[in-house]
Amino acid sequence: MIANTNTAHASLVQPGYRLFNEQFCDVSEVNSGQIGVVGMPSDWTHSSRLGTRFGPEALRKATTLMQSMRPQNGSFDPDTQYRTLPAVGWLVDCGDAEITADNVDATTQSIAAMTEELTVGGAIPLALGGDHYNSFPACLGYSRGLSKRAPNSNFGYIQIDGHLDFSDRLGAWGTHNHATNARRISELPNVNVSNMVWVGITGWVDSGELALIEGQGGRVFSANDVHEMGAEEVMRQALAHAMQGCDELYLSIDIDAMDAGYLPGTGSIVHSGITPRKYYDMLDGLSDAPLGGLDIVEVSPPLDPSERTEFLAAEMLFRILRKFRTQTEVSL
Amino acid sequence: MPLRSAPLPRMAGHLSFMRSQSKEICDVKSGDLVVIGLPFEDTNAPHAGQSLASRALRETSVYFGWHANPQFSHPVDIDARESIQTDGLHERLCDLGDIPIGDDKKSHDLLKKVTRQINHIGACAILLGGSNQMSDTVQSSLPKSQKVQLGGILRNENDFHIAPMQSDFNKICKLNMSEQFNNFSQWRDSSKPLFVQFDLSVFETSLSVLCDQPRLGGCNLDTVTKWLSVIGKQKVSAIMLTGLNPDRPGMGVIKVGQRLMVTSLLAFIYSRLGFESDPKTQIQRKM
Repeated sequence: MIANTNTAHASLVQPGYRLFNEQFCDVSEVNSGQIGVVGMPSDWTHSSRLGTRFGPEALRKATTLMQSMRPQNGSFDPDTQYRTLPAVGWLVDCGDAEITADNVDATTQSIAAMTEELTVGGAIPLALGGDHYNSFPACLGYSRGLSKRAPNSNFGYIQIDGHLDFSDRLGAWGTHNHATNARRISELPNVNVSNMVWVGITGWVDSGELALIEGQGGRVFSANDVHEMGAEEVMRQALAHAMQGCDELYLSIDIDAMDAGYLPGTGSIVHSGITPRKYYDMLDGLSDAPLGGLDIVEVSPPLDPSERTEFLAAEMLFRILRKFRTQTEVSL
Repeated sequence: MPLRSAPLPRMAGHLSFMRSQSKEICDVKSGDLVVIGLPFEDTNAPHAGQSLASRALRETSVYFGWHANPQFSHPVDIDARESIQTDGLHERLCDLGDIPIGDDKKSHDLLKKVTRQINHIGACAILLGGSNQMSDTVQSSLPKSQKVQLGGILRNENDFHIAPMQSDFNKICKLNMSEQFNNFSQWRDSSKPLFVQFDLSVFETSLSVLCDQPRLGGCNLDTVTKWLSVIGKQKVSAIMLTGLNPDRPGMGVIKVGQRLMVTSLLAFIYSRLGFESDPKTQIQRKM
């Protein structure tokens, strides 16, 4: 009978998802110590397989769904053996930066303006790509903000990635694209190449770029290093190297370092042998790092009909943001 | 002012394997590696799409066409920390295009004739399948040949099988590889032509996904790469890639199968060209 039908449905979270289903607010209202989320729905700076412009929305949806499956009251974390409570007000979603598809400069300044304002106010910008180029404007804004908040500070940089992205230019795409983002970051005034570390690089890389990085003191850990040395040891060394003489860390997470057998929904796939578990172990190794800013890039939902890529990427955020999203209650 | 104009399509221009030269069969020389596409549909296969494999393999191979791109310095294999020698590759790797489809008999005859001719010249054919139905045709053009088969269905016990899909399919993956390499050396009769069938099913399914013959317990990329490097040291008459279906239902956007095959095929190509690992090319880590 129609009269017996239960019509009490939970309210939908529309319009639009917010990362971790947390609150939405303007960048100017984010408090010091909070994570401030900036979406970068742009794939105009990728040279081949597109679709990462849908990445921010997919990450918001995936983290919201995964959050809804986690207990809201006290929960036991089997990885740390701690009973934890969810933190309150730890993250706010500031929406997307304005993307001007045919004008990289305008897009760059738009993203940078948001991450700069967050950084100046003491918040931690978390930028959601988008192709990996967008990591540069996100870091550019962070760099500008840091130079205002702490003028004499330098930051260390770790990039988890299947590729170096250290080209000076890429053919017809010029100097600002997904193969040059790390190079552009290396030119910022408050970071030295000697504090830049790459982890998970695999396959062929350009010998000139590798020589340039290592000649200036940067470090490159290959996927093979992760397999041979272990994720924990690699990240321990990576963090120690990046933080020499630095106060904060900027972390760029390119999901494509994970083996494409597990994670196919990304523009530039590799077969690194890095499993989800190993990738998460790497992020666990950084979860207590002094994060000043971070980004996660190259989630391309149209390239993975199974949708598992965005959930694997969402779990990366759960891992790296563990200390922010939980309050430790008691050790068992 | 915009930092650059709109992007250009990466796959523009003539699509050849690894951006290699297009050649006619009459221009092939001894020692060359000669790529030929076999865009055939196996009507017995569980899914349509194998005929798209040769194109998919060529598209993926473009990423490794560094030898034809003056923008880059020579590549380094970052995992092995080894310089990759690309000098001479452009002269010795060429692409003849596809065997025309249409009349089955003509296609088989042409494939047989071309393979025989390439073997006679002293070159090596790299055949981009698709369907494994053409492998008998290739082998029949190489009289008294020996066959190495990676993955695929075990059909002849005289062949040398690497991770075949049978009840003992785990055997070779899990055995000591150096022992297996010795077995291979003993099995190999260098007076006979060597034909290699490289089927995507040699890989563990969680890595390959685009194979119509899913399996557990297959090899990882490193194992297959090592095998193809060892096999490439032999005078191989033809290597045929099979088992890739880049258009399995709902998965046309996923490129993992072709990437796995091309990445491991590179080991064969470099080994075949004699680009041996040289201690002098080892890139030392700078701490």
